[in-house]
Amino acid sequence: MKIITLVRGTIRELAAKATLYVLAGISTLMLIFAALAIGADSTADGMSITFFGKPASPPVTHDTLAELAGKLEAGFAGGLFFGVVVFGVLGTAGVIPDALEKGTVDLYLSKPIARWQLLLGKYLGSVAVIFLNILYFIGGLWLIVGVKVGVWNTQFLLSAFLLTYVFASLYAVVAFFGVVSRNMAIAIIAGILYLLLVAGPLESRQTGLYLLSESGVYRGILDGLYYLFPQIPAMESGAIHLISGEQALVTPFAQSLLSAGGILGLAAWLLQRRDF
Amino acid sequence: MLAIESDALSKVYRSGMFRRQEVTALTGFSIQVETGQIFSLLGPNGAGKTTFIKMLLSLAAPTSGSASVLGRRLPDVRVREKVGYLPENHRYPGYLTGEQVLRYFGALGGAPSGALPGRIATLMELVGMSQWRTMKVKKYSKGMMQRLGLAQALINDPEIIFLDEPTDGVDPVGRKEIREILRDLKRRGKTIFLNSHLLSEVELVSDRVAVLDKGHLLKVGTVDEMTATGQAYVIGITGTLPDTVTVAARAFVIGLSQQGENVTAECRTTAELNQVIDLLRRNNVEITSVTRQRSTLEESFISLITGEGRP
Repeated sequence: MKIITLVRGTIRELAAKATLYVLAGISTLMLIFAALAIGADSTADGMSITFFGKPASPPVTHDTLAELAGKLEAGFAGGLFFGVVVFGVLGTAGVIPDALEKGTVDLYLSKPIARWQLLLGKYLGSVAVIFLNILYFIGGLWLIVGVKVGVWNTQFLLSAFLLTYVFASLYAVVAFFGVVSRNMAIAIIAGILYLLLVAGPLESRQTGLYLLSESGVYRGILDGLYYLFPQIPAMESGAIHLISGEQALVTPFAQSLLSAGGILGLAAWLLQRRDF
Repeated sequence: MLAIESDALSKVYRSGMFRRQEVTALTGFSIQVETGQIFSLLGPNGAGKTTFIKMLLSLAAPTSGSASVLGRRLPDVRVREKVGYLPENHRYPGYLTGEQVLRYFGALGGAPSGALPGRIATLMELVGMSQWRTMKVKKYSKGMMQRLGLAQALINDPEIIFLDEPTDGVDPVGRKEIREILRDLKRRGKTIFLNSHLLSEVELVSDRVAVLDKGHLLKVGTVDEMTATGQAYVIGITGTLPDTVTVAARAFVIGLSQQGENVTAECRTTAELNQVIDLLRRNNVEITSVTRQRSTLEESFISLITGEGRP
């Protein structure tokens, strides 16, 4: 119950910040653009997707049209992922450092709540806000494609959960650095650097970092690190495959769940040991 | 039952590279606070007052020693169900109204949601904030924040209320109102633990006082015990004391002096005081009053801190 109160409090806190309105504003602009641009044309040869009234594909059967619509939606979702990472992290990275600030943390911890509850409540509240933003965009685009093209791709709707899952994995890293540093800027930089300098290079290690040395120990360490941290790029690519109606590996999602859980657990342990 | 008990509680903060820098905030601090009392902890900045409260609330872990609150040995999260806390320099979310702040922290404190609206209205009235309850906290003045902080500390109807500089930034009228609230809470059986620099206020409301300096407990006692200055008495008289009486009295008391219509007699015992009174009466000196000479709490505090009044 207290965690729900913390989640609701965090949603209200983030609703008062401008950054997330920027994300919602960008989503709205993209939806307006999609509503104006996307259409479908029916001819004797079949159906085609139109872009500003001009056919974007040759006339195809309904099944092929559904496949094309899936790819279109996957393209938008890929673009959304970038927006979620940048604006989502920017908008939510301050939540945990703010809660741990002198004068605020005393208020929280003088109440009968455990420190891990405070951390979890703030974490889930931030993730919930990002989920609402993603759902707004994905739901809107799903409606636009459904109404204008006649393809109702439920897998695309499910991608709102997948993209939130990816964000939640990354946000565990941001939350960890928020607890350690109690500084929003450091939490943001750590999250972005993790994505660019750790998750990305580890994902493509076989064509990148492996080339630096042929040592088995070195490559073993890289593999170990890969399985130790959330696999953000692998999950992003898996989510896009699923939206397009293709198969995707479950392993990165399962491994990232364990990894993010471990990182949050470590953050909770460090928080428990801290004097305020 | 004791509200608060600490036994040789010590706290050393470690910081810096490899946590090698040490700052001792509290050393072997032992006190007992009975339920229903207003207990004040006094001390200069850095004396360890806030550290002590933080250890009682499990915001900081003791380096050694032990403490209990309401009979529960710390750390125990359930203790905080019965405790209210107004921290120094508290920060409430600026985007919430005063009423929303109380609802939020009331819910976190475990107050039943059905009871909260009535309790919020009562507390806002109590701290004189009813008319600003729907105003955003970011527009509040320092004094208004303190009043809201006091209401927040009381939202869960706690048995013990820890107040760290509760009148900081509050005007004299507001301070008087807060004193009245504290007295009312005491009448209702609540225990109040006060940290304050405003010694004149502490003197007005406290039952017992402890003085801390550099982490060490210097003295603990009632306000009367803290302000008493040995066996010196001020005897009010009319007219001037005859020289013969002064000489006769000085033969058996430590000292005797007159300033205006007040005679100060420094005695070893109350028997000596009675001897002085008998002497005055035999010489037809009219006595208007007899009071034990006291210093103010501030004077006693400064005397303790500078080392002059240490036992």
